[in-house]
Formats: sequence, C-alpha cells, structure tokens
Amino acid sequence: MNTLIKKITAFSLAALTAFTLIGCSPQKTSTSTLDQATWVVGLDDSFAPMGFRDEKGEIVGFDVDLAKALGEKLGKEIKFQPIDWSMKETELKAGNIDFIWNGYTITEERKEKVSFSNAYLNNSQIIVTLADSAIENKADLKGKTVGAQSQSSAVTAMEKETEVYSSFKGGKAVTFESNDQALMDLEAGRIDAVVADEILLRYYIALKGEEKYKILSEDFGNEQYGVGMRKDDLKMVEAFNKAYAEMKADGTIKAISEKWFGEDITN
Amino acid sequence: MNGIMGFFEYFTMLMPQVLHGLVVTMQIFGFTLILSIPLGVIIALGRLSKYKVINWITGIYINIMRGTPLLLQIVFVFFGLPLIGITFGRFSAALFAFTLNYGAYFAEIFRAGIDSIDTGQYEGAEVLGLSPKDTFFRIIFPQALKRVLPPVGNEVVTLVKDTALVYILGLDELLKIGKIASNRDATLMPLVIVALVYLVLTYILSKIMTCIETKYNYYR
Repeated sequence: MNTLIKKITAFSLAALTAFTLIGCSPQKTSTSTLDQATWVVGLDDSFAPMGFRDEKGEIVGFDVDLAKALGEKLGKEIKFQPIDWSMKETELKAGNIDFIWNGYTITEERKEKVSFSNAYLNNSQIIVTLADSAIENKADLKGKTVGAQSQSSAVTAMEKETEVYSSFKGGKAVTFESNDQALMDLEAGRIDAVVADEILLRYYIALKGEEKYKILSEDFGNEQYGVGMRKDDLKMVEAFNKAYAEMKADGTIKAISEKWFGEDITN
Repeated sequence: MNGIMGFFEYFTMLMPQVLHGLVVTMQIFGFTLILSIPLGVIIALGRLSKYKVINWITGIYINIMRGTPLLLQIVFVFFGLPLIGITFGRFSAALFAFTLNYGAYFAEIFRAGIDSIDTGQYEGAEVLGLSPKDTFFRIIFPQALKRVLPPVGNEVVTLVKDTALVYILGLDELLKIGKIASNRDATLMPLVIVALVYLVLTYILSKIMTCIETKYNYYR
C-alpha cells in the first residue's frame, strides 16, 4: 500500500537528483578563450572531408588536423565536440564549445553572431549535373529543379543572384539535410542540378565516380572558410591569426593540406 | 555473390561504431524508462486527485509535454535552462527532457487504466472494510497495471525510435552513426544496417512485453 508509492517516489526522486547533480557542469567564467587550458572545437562530424568519422569512428579531417596542430603549437588540450550544425552559433554562445571549425563559410550574417579568424581556405559554390545533362550554364537552369544543402552557404549564394534563383522550378532550390542526399536525388533523376561547396562536392564525386557527373564552368561565386570564435573575443582572434600565420610559414599547414587535398590549397 | 560478401564486410567494419551507438541509444532508452514510469504513476495520481490544485497543475504539465515537440523540449532543456542558471550536461539534458516527456504520456496511460476499473471493485472493497488506500493499492492499481500493459508496450517501442532525436545535442546515437557513415561513404548501406538493429531491438522488446502480459494474465 503506502510502501509501494513511497518506494516509487523515493526511487524516482533519488534517481532524478543523481543525474541532475552528475549532469551539472560549472559555468564558464574566463573572459577570453585564450586563457583556458582546454579548447573545445565544435564540429559537425558528418562533414567530410573537413571533419568526419573514419571507419573506426575516430574524428578525422582537414580541419581536425589543423585544430590539433594549433593546440600543439599553443600548448592547449584540444577536445572535439560533435554538434548539430543548425545549433552551432547557439552552442558557441552558450560556451559549450569554443570554436566553430568545420568548413565554416564567412558570411556577413554570421559575422553578427561570431568573430571570424582570417580566411584560410577558398571555396566556390559549384554547379554539378549528371554527365549526360543538357545543362551547360546558369541560364539553362531556368525551369529546372536545383538541389542544395539546407541552411548552407550554397543557398545564400544562389539567393544573391535573384534572377537565376527565381527562374528555378518552384522559384527556389530544393533543400536536403546533407549534400550526399542531394547527389542521390540527382542520380535518381528527380532534380537536375546540385549546388554546393566545391571542396565537399569534389570529395563526393571522387567517391561516387567522376565519370557520372559534370561540373559546369559557371558557379555561384567564391567564398572563404574561417574559424568562428566567440563574438568580441578579440584577444583569441588575434592569437589565432598569429599562430596560423606562423604555421603557414613553417609548412605545417602545407603538409596538412597536401595530406587531404593532394596540394596546398590554403591561404 | 560479391554484393552479399561486400555487405558482410561492410557490416563487420561498421559494427564497432554501431555497437557504440547502440550503447548510447540503450542508455537513453533504459534510464528514461526507469525514471518516467514512476513519474507517470505519480502524475496520474495527481490527475485523479480530489484536490483541484494538483489536478490543475498536472493537467497543465501534461498539456505542455504532449503539446510540444520532444525535439523542442530537448533544445529548451539544453540551451534554454542555462539562461536561468540550470546547466545540464549533454546526456543528462537529453535524459531530463525524455523523462519529462514520456512521464506525461505514461501518466495519461495510467490514468486511463485506473479510470477503467469498474466501480463495483470499489464497492466490493468497501463492503470488505478496506481503507481507501488499501482499496487503491491492493485492488485497483494492480488491475489497472495489467490493463495498461499493451499501451505501455506501444510507448516503449516508440521510445526506442525517439531516442534518435538526441542527435540535436551531438550525441552519437545509433541513427547518427548511420548517417555519418552514409555521408562519408556515400552509400545507403549504413542506414540499412541501422534499420536492422532498430528492428531487432524493437522485436526483442515486443517479445518481452508479450511475456509480461502473459505472465500477468492470471485470471484467464
């Protein structure tokens, strides 16, 4: 009778308290990330080849190697925290992560929310179709279905070219959770072209077979990748840029770029 | 056939990661179940309470928890609560949100179960001179528990699949492992493997629920 409910109540209360206490982490007090001994790099671990998981489940990638090299240089312990890409700025602002470092394109909109490092990689928004497609340039995209990753800079880049963008079938791009899904849809013939980061698309195309695709000579403009740090943490940004320049000069960056891209494509 | 061999090879390669994801999924699942069922019983009692205030509060709680998406609740617990000084870790934030959410669903199931017991049972208990407490915990509640086993089983299976929502906090649950591998290798194979794991998992759980139902079916 009474004992049953008492047991249930006591048990659930105890369990609730226990995991609340374990779960509580201290609030960040330091003002600059530079003063911390450990740096948490936030990344979308499905973002090959910048940051993703290899066959063993280890987090690897171009940006991951860069972050490790920086940590080694500045004597900081680097931790990688997988995050959902749509929550990246929120995670940074809440102090759960210290860097957004994962093929993070510098845009005016994002500059309002985070402080960017100097750009370290050039990228462009390229247009890919199937090899036998009749589409040759942006004008040919009129009335066609175009796919891109949701919330990606590809969408932002296309929106800038209003005339081309509104000429797409439906007046806008079809968006997918990942670039991989967009390419699968292209292959299935439901969409006519995919617009995405050149760095990522080249990676996927190499995996899926280059002969199947065609990259148009026209693109949706150039952009640059940067590392996001907490807004107004200028001390950190300065230290970052200085360390990066030094690593660039001593060949560390070149070696990492050659490992992932076969050549040095960094700034 | 090469395809079959390829599948097994891929399966073996992916297995360690899948198992890691399975552990995370099972942790969320197990802890949520352990915490939310008792919570559900308490809330159900609140809903049936003769005190209007308790009635009203638990009613609002259930409305909020059932009326908003679980994904939103997880985001709110992890990103919103720190603003008022309550900071959870990633795992405990997910667990907290899941427990509150599933507690509400279980509460409604238990309430329905308790409500479904015939008034004759109460009258019989009164004739036998049982106190209201004894009547509830010895006569009504055990019968209600038996009746709600099928809907509870339903929720249990749903819970397994809902655990996939913790991806929003960057936790490496099963589905996310599959999505990462699918992105990396540009193939749907990992998702097929993950689907099979979910299927096996829910099948085992359904079997367990059936066993429990049979065991408690002692009047038939």
